[in-house]
Amino acid sequence: MADHEEDLSLLETLDHLLDRGVVIAGEAVISIGDVDLLYLGLNIVLANVDAVIRTGQK
Amino acid sequence: MKAVIIGAHLWRDDVEPIATAIACGDLWLSGVEVAADQPLGDRELLLRVADVRARLLDRATFIAIRYGFAVREAAEAEAKCAAHLERWRRVLEANRDNVEMTLKVAASAATPRPDRHDFAGGADYLRALHEATNAAEVDPGFRDAVSAIATHRWMHRDNRSLECALLVGRGDVARVRESGEQLKRDFPDIPFLLSGPWPLEVFVDG
Repeated sequence: MADHEEDLSLLETLDHLLDRGVVIAGEAVISIGDVDLLYLGLNIVLANVDAVIRTGQK
Repeated sequence: MKAVIIGAHLWRDDVEPIATAIACGDLWLSGVEVAADQPLGDRELLLRVADVRARLLDRATFIAIRYGFAVREAAEAEAKCAAHLERWRRVLEANRDNVEMTLKVAASAATPRPDRHDFAGGADYLRALHEATNAAEVDPGFRDAVSAIATHRWMHRDNRSLECALLVGRGDVARVRESGEQLKRDFPDIPFLLSGPWPLEVFVDG
């Protein structure tokens, strides 16, 4: 039970780190291990679904 | 070297010596210094940044910046944050004694998640995904009970869950946790997770 709660706490912490807070315009290299998988323009990729839909409707 | 940015703070003393303080207008950014070629997806780095983030919040409330923003010098940080600084200062001054707490709750009935293979175009798929997400509802009584706890914002997470961000005085965190215990007693069949305190993540546009 304690392990479960610890895992849950870690997951919640990482969720907030990765998915919360202000998004700054810029660029980031998202990598796993030593391999750069994606080179992203955060302005574009992190646009919310509403913005993507509006773009799609134009 | 580069610095992985964690948040925006009112005072340099809110940052040091827990993290590197980077001047940004009349505010300060907190950062964790890493090698210039350090991949941001590294597990150890993520855990290290999460730990520093928590210790910074113990020191003082700050505006959280989403993981992934890294700078090589202060001028770069200032250039990219310039448009936000005036608002950030207002928010930080108004919320010096506040933190956020988060309540995630399962939707009372999950709406089906669209299958992307059923759509000819990406826009149609995203529209359906958006509609499925916004259709998720929570028990009205539970929603009212949560909304009564503190200043709040409800957000749709996905087609199976919603989230409520609560803006809470630091001195009120224990009361909010007790309110969470009361919710468990009053709504034993509704699965939810109350977590926090967190830095300012949602209430940043005030």
